[in-house]
Amino acid sequence: MFLYFSASPRIRVNIFWFRLARLRFKIMEKILNKKHIDDWIAALDGWDIQAPVLEDDIWSYQPVGGAVRLDHPNTKQSPKGLAFPQREIFFKFEQIKGEAPRLTEVVPDERRHAVFGVRPCDGRGVPRMDLVFNDHVEDNYYLARRKNVAYVGLACNKPPSANCFCLSVGGSPVSTEGLDVQMTDLGDRYFVKAITEAGKGLMTAAGKLFAEPSAADQKQVKQVHAEAVAQPQRAVRNVEEVPAKLKASFKSPLWQELAQPCIGCGICTFLCPTCHCFDINDEVQSKAPLKGIRVRTWDNCQFPDFTMHSSGHNPRENTGARLRQRVGHKFQYFPENFGMPQCTGCGRCISECPVGIDIINVVNKVVENAG
Amino acid sequence: MIKIQDIRDTARDLLTKGEVRAVIGYRRGSRGMLAEPTFITSPEQADELVWDPTCFHNLSLYLVHDRKFLAHIRKNPEAPVAIVAKGCDARSIVVLMQEHYFKREDVYIIGVSCEGTGVLDERKLAPHLKGVQASNAAFDGNDFVFTTSEKLLAGHPAEGEKRLPAREVMADRCLECRIPYPREHNVVFGEDKTGRQLAEPFAALTRFEAQGAGTRWDFWSHHFDRCIRCFACRSVCPMCYCDECVVDSITFPVTTETTAEDKANRIRWIERSAVRSENITYLMTRAMHLAGRCTDCGECERACSVNIPLRLLNNKMEREAREQFGFEPGASIGGPSLVASFLDSDPGDFIR
Repeated sequence: MFLYFSASPRIRVNIFWFRLARLRFKIMEKILNKKHIDDWIAALDGWDIQAPVLEDDIWSYQPVGGAVRLDHPNTKQSPKGLAFPQREIFFKFEQIKGEAPRLTEVVPDERRHAVFGVRPCDGRGVPRMDLVFNDHVEDNYYLARRKNVAYVGLACNKPPSANCFCLSVGGSPVSTEGLDVQMTDLGDRYFVKAITEAGKGLMTAAGKLFAEPSAADQKQVKQVHAEAVAQPQRAVRNVEEVPAKLKASFKSPLWQELAQPCIGCGICTFLCPTCHCFDINDEVQSKAPLKGIRVRTWDNCQFPDFTMHSSGHNPRENTGARLRQRVGHKFQYFPENFGMPQCTGCGRCISECPVGIDIINVVNKVVENAG
Repeated sequence: MIKIQDIRDTARDLLTKGEVRAVIGYRRGSRGMLAEPTFITSPEQADELVWDPTCFHNLSLYLVHDRKFLAHIRKNPEAPVAIVAKGCDARSIVVLMQEHYFKREDVYIIGVSCEGTGVLDERKLAPHLKGVQASNAAFDGNDFVFTTSEKLLAGHPAEGEKRLPAREVMADRCLECRIPYPREHNVVFGEDKTGRQLAEPFAALTRFEAQGAGTRWDFWSHHFDRCIRCFACRSVCPMCYCDECVVDSITFPVTTETTAEDKANRIRWIERSAVRSENITYLMTRAMHLAGRCTDCGECERACSVNIPLRLLNNKMEREAREQFGFEPGASIGGPSLVASFLDSDPGDFIR
C-alpha cells in the first residue's frame, strides 16, 4: 500500500498487519492458457461467477457460466455493487392494529461471488470502501457481502480509457491492491498471481489447469508491466499537495464557475468505484395491515435534495457547493481521515458526464488557483 | 457552411454593446474532441466558442437554470441572455415561452442550422475509430472529419484524419429530424435544409412497433430493470423544470405541528428503490409529461448512463399528438400548447 499522507494510528496498525500478512504469504504465480479460462471458472464449485458482458452496447458485470473473454475496456459501472448493492433490504416490518410491530431481519444471502476482469482502479476501490464501512461503525450488511466476494483482477496493458489517471492518484495499471488474484494478459495466456489466501484458493481449485511460469514468462510479465506503467495518461498534478490546497480553496469562486454546466444527475457518483453515500427509507407495501420494508438505496451528493432540510433550507444550495463536496471528499476529507485519496483514477465520472465536467481539470484548476 | 467566426463575432458584438448579459454556447472541452457548454460574459471570451458535430447539448436547459437562479435570489433579468441553438433546441425554447417560463425579449437566439447533417453519436463512431482517440471533429459538407491522435489504418486520405459520411455516425434523432433549422431566432447561420429526409420521421419507433406486444413488453421490462435512477434523463431535459419532481418528496411542509406519523406517511408516488415497478412509474410519468413538449433533442437518450432507448417513449407521445391533433411541438410561441387547447375539429372517438 502506497501512502502519501500521514496515516491515522488505526490505519498504521492495519498497514502493519497487512505487511505482516504479506511476509507470511507464499508467492503463487502460474500460467493459464487462455483457452482454459472457462475450465477454471467451471472448476470453481460453490462460487457464483461474474464477468464483464457486453449487452446494450455497454459492459457490465453479470453472472456468467462460461464463454468468458476478458477483452473489455472497463465496465460502465464499477463492481462496488457486489458488496454494496444499490438496494439493500434491512428488514421487513408489519403491524396488526392494536398489536406490537413485528420486525423480520433480512440477511444478505451467503453465496460467494468471484468477479473476473476487475481493473486495478476498481480493485483499489475495494479497500477504500472497506475503510468506510468498517471504521467507526461496522456495517454488518456490507461486511456480510464483502467477505463473500473475491476480486480477480486484470492488469491494464494499455489504458482502457482516454480519461484514465490511476498513476497520478497513487495507483498503477498493474496495481494488486484490493485484488485477490491478478491476471496479466500475455497474448495467448495469462500470467496469474495470487495476492491473498482467498485468491490462492481460487487457483488451487483448478490446480491442474495452471502451469509453472518459465523464466521467459517471468521476463515477459515484467516487461508487459513496465510498458503498461510507461503508457501516457492524463494526470492530477502533485496529488500530495491537493488536500491543503483544496482546504484553502473552500470559498473559491472557481467551484461555481466549474460547476456551472452541472445538471445535478447521479452519473458521476453511481458509476464511481468509491462513492458510497446512501439513503434509508421505509417503503410501505400495504397500509392495512401495515406491511413494508426498510431499504437502503444509493444516494448522491449531486442531487439537489441530498442536503435539503425539511425547513426548505439547503446548505449546499448550488452546483458549485455540490461539486466541491464530491471533489473535496475524494481529494481532501478522505485523505485527512484515511491518509490516501479516495479517487482511484478510473475516469468514469469524466467519460460519462453528459456536460463535460472533468474531475482532473477541476482539481488541477482549483489547486493552481490556490497559489 | 457555418463559419465559426460569424458566431464568435455575433457573441462579441452583443457583449460589447451590452445587449446581452451572457452568451450560452459551446467550447472545446478538456476531454478529447468533445465540446462542452460554456457561459461567456466578456467579449474577450467570444473566441472560445466552437461549432462542430459534438455540440450535442440542448443549451436551453441553462435558460431554465438561469431563471431558477434569478427566482432564488429574487431578481429580475437585467438584460437578455444569448444562446446558441440548433433547430430542436430553438423549438424547446419556443415551448418554454409558450408555457410562459420566460419572455421572448429575455432571450437572444443565435440560431445554427444543422444543414445537411446533425450531431454525432459517439457509440456509432467508436467502431470506426477502433480504439484510437479523436482530438477534433468538424463538419465538411455531408461528411464529418475527425482528427486522430494516432495513425489510423492505411487507406485513409491523410494520416491522423478520418473522414466519414455523416449519415453513418449521426445520432438517430438527427437522421429522423424533420426541421433541422431554428425557425425562431434573432440571427441565424447556415442554410435551411428542411425536407432533407435522411431517414423517415419516427423510423426507430415504427420499426419497434412492428413487433408483437409480447416482444415489446419483454424489451421494456429488460430496460426498465436496468435503470439505475441516476435521473440524468430528467436532469438534462429543459422541459423537466418542475420545482418538485414526482420522484422526490422534498417540499413536504414540516412545521412544529408535524408529527412523526405525518412525516412517515407523506405521499411518495415513487420509492427510491431502483426496481421495475418504481422505474416504470418514473420513466412513464416523465414520458407522459413530455407529450406535446418534447422536441426530440434526444438529450435524455444520449445522457442515459445505461443506454435505455428513451426516445422510443417520447417519440410515441410525439407521434400520437401529431397523428391525433396535427400538433407540432415548439412550432410557434403564440400557438396553442397540446394539453391546454381544444379545437372543435379534435377527434373525440376515444370518448365512449
